[in-house]
Amino acid sequence: MDSILISVLNRTLVAGTPLLLATLGEIITERSGILNLGIEGMMAVGAVAGFIVTLATGSPWLGMASAILAGILISAIHAFVSISLKANQVVSGLALTMLGLGGASLFGRPFIGRPLPVKMAPFRIPILADIPLVGKVLFNQDPFFYLSLILGVLLWVLLSRTRWGIQIRSVGENPAASEAQGLNISTVRYICVLIGGGLAGMAGAHLSLIYSKSWTEGLTGGRGWIVIALTIFALWNPLRAFLGAYLFGCIFVLQYILQPIGIPPNLLGMMPYLATLAVLFAGGLKKGRRYLHAPAMLGEPYTKGER
Amino acid sequence: MKFTKIIIAVILVMLLAAAVVFAGGEKETEPVEAKKIKAGFIYVGPIGDYGWSHAHDVGRKYVEGKFPWLETLLVESVPEADSARIIDRFIVEEKCDVVFTTSFGYMDDTVKAGEKYPDKLFMHCSGFKQSENVGTYFAELYQMYYLNGLMAGALTRSNKIGYVGAFPIPEVVRHINAFALGIKDANPDAKVHVRWIFSWYDPSKAKEAAEALVADGCDALAFTEDSPAVIEVGQEHTEKGKPVFTFGHYSPMQQFGVDSVVSGQLVDWGVMYEKILKDIYDGTWSNEDLWWLAAEDAALLGGSFEDKINPKFTDELKAVTVEVPDLGKINVYNLIMKRLDQMNQGTDVFDPFVGPISDNKGKVRIPSGVKASKGQLLSIDYYVDNIVGDVPK
Repeated sequence: MDSILISVLNRTLVAGTPLLLATLGEIITERSGILNLGIEGMMAVGAVAGFIVTLATGSPWLGMASAILAGILISAIHAFVSISLKANQVVSGLALTMLGLGGASLFGRPFIGRPLPVKMAPFRIPILADIPLVGKVLFNQDPFFYLSLILGVLLWVLLSRTRWGIQIRSVGENPAASEAQGLNISTVRYICVLIGGGLAGMAGAHLSLIYSKSWTEGLTGGRGWIVIALTIFALWNPLRAFLGAYLFGCIFVLQYILQPIGIPPNLLGMMPYLATLAVLFAGGLKKGRRYLHAPAMLGEPYTKGER
Repeated sequence: MKFTKIIIAVILVMLLAAAVVFAGGEKETEPVEAKKIKAGFIYVGPIGDYGWSHAHDVGRKYVEGKFPWLETLLVESVPEADSARIIDRFIVEEKCDVVFTTSFGYMDDTVKAGEKYPDKLFMHCSGFKQSENVGTYFAELYQMYYLNGLMAGALTRSNKIGYVGAFPIPEVVRHINAFALGIKDANPDAKVHVRWIFSWYDPSKAKEAAEALVADGCDALAFTEDSPAVIEVGQEHTEKGKPVFTFGHYSPMQQFGVDSVVSGQLVDWGVMYEKILKDIYDGTWSNEDLWWLAAEDAALLGGSFEDKINPKFTDELKAVTVEVPDLGKINVYNLIMKRLDQMNQGTDVFDPFVGPISDNKGKVRIPSGVKASKGQLLSIDYYVDNIVGDVPK
């Protein structure tokens, strides 16, 4: 029983990490007022870039860096189309998904079925890792896990405690007023979309370097869509993203733990979306107060000087 | 103005997407010879799945290299409802002489295409409907699962063996049963635990299912899913000092778990395509149902094409002795080699599905001394007596 508990907790953190990273990216993107539905594509590109570079250089760290870079580059397409050209962000995001998935399978084809020669070793925190149960689960994880924790807290501090954070949020809420304050709306939005792309790329690298340690088509497996649900579930708050990512990760892991007692995996597979719907319902029921905190100008292109 | 910009942006993105899509479509040609055959292949998955479609494509490449008179075309990731359109395109635009449809779901469209184009040939993989110009073919691997079962039964220490299954259909249930029958012959105390993922191809689900089985105490894992995800789980636990034995599926997967993969089943579609296309070329093709097993070299044992059994495990298998009715006391390694040799001679010499076989509810399904018919094997819907649980409905 002990080993099942450790396994569930451990797998939850591993399965939740890519969700967390990509959700953090989508939160900052959406906070600036840009909706990016292309997470699935950006993750796929990150996964394949990370894998190829790790294979070529033998360094998973370089792999991670190039995954982030690849995510930034592909998200730049979305940024250009939706910010500079002011096109429909839904269409552009969906196109980004298809472009990313297609491009990843095209460039990844020669690398299918190749095992990863170098593996990123788990980072063991001395002393703490020897604590029973907790130590094994929390303090002996892969570097991505710790980075995602740090990034999550940093992003929360950035968004809620710094001047930059206020500027990003105000761009998402009321770009006209922000512009009157002297902010360059396009620049802020570009930066946020690119950060979001980088984080999605990093999430992809986690999948190919840590989670499955190989590249196969369909590696992202719909996580990009779960991330979009998660962003709403987290109410655009990085701290709630932790809760959501690990909750959804746990549900994913439990699918197979609970199967022998007769709970069909498909039912649990629906849970992330049901949970998101529940959050939306709760938001809809609470009248009077703005509960959901969706950025007011989410998905709306902004034209300079326009009212 | 704004509207024009939106249109430009959308077109731009679509063009980019289209460029990628078209760049992905492969077309390979051979120099023209006097008599030529053009064969079209339709795959249900991406070639990159490292499983079913990948294995078919290895076969396609093999025959294309082998026959100078052969030209092949392929379309991958074709949804089962979409096959009629692709068949039409292959016949009408590409002027194919024969079309191979490689998924069960293409069956009805393939038969219909046979009526529509009576002067062309069609080969449908894994189906059961034939007609004048529509043949069927399949490479069946249950014998290899049995041999893998012998190894798993001999190696397990916890007497709990896991299986990650794709869909609870007769094909997969038959393979789990064959695996369990092998386990039983090497280790009557071991039980088989099954987790279903309800997907042919989903590395992350397969991985979590495998982790769940390991957490439950299983130390040997076999699976039906088109990626090496389960192997990676086994390798990871083995590296951390908890040996988990795994068995590759369909493609050579030993490279993904050099310390964990004991053996596996491999398929060689190449030999089947070679025979079918040679027959067509020679004019001796008939629509008989080709159901190839070990004896026809379509089903092979191993986690790689080089080793039937990973040499790391040879000594361990030799150290376990079992008693079997026809051979007396014999070590498991020799038993496997003997059985493989018998299988290569044909199912009349040795077959795992010879009774007495009871299901796990105690009902006798195959009476003593009787060999299961092909019909029984194709419709099997029960677990044999050392598997835990029920087949999901």
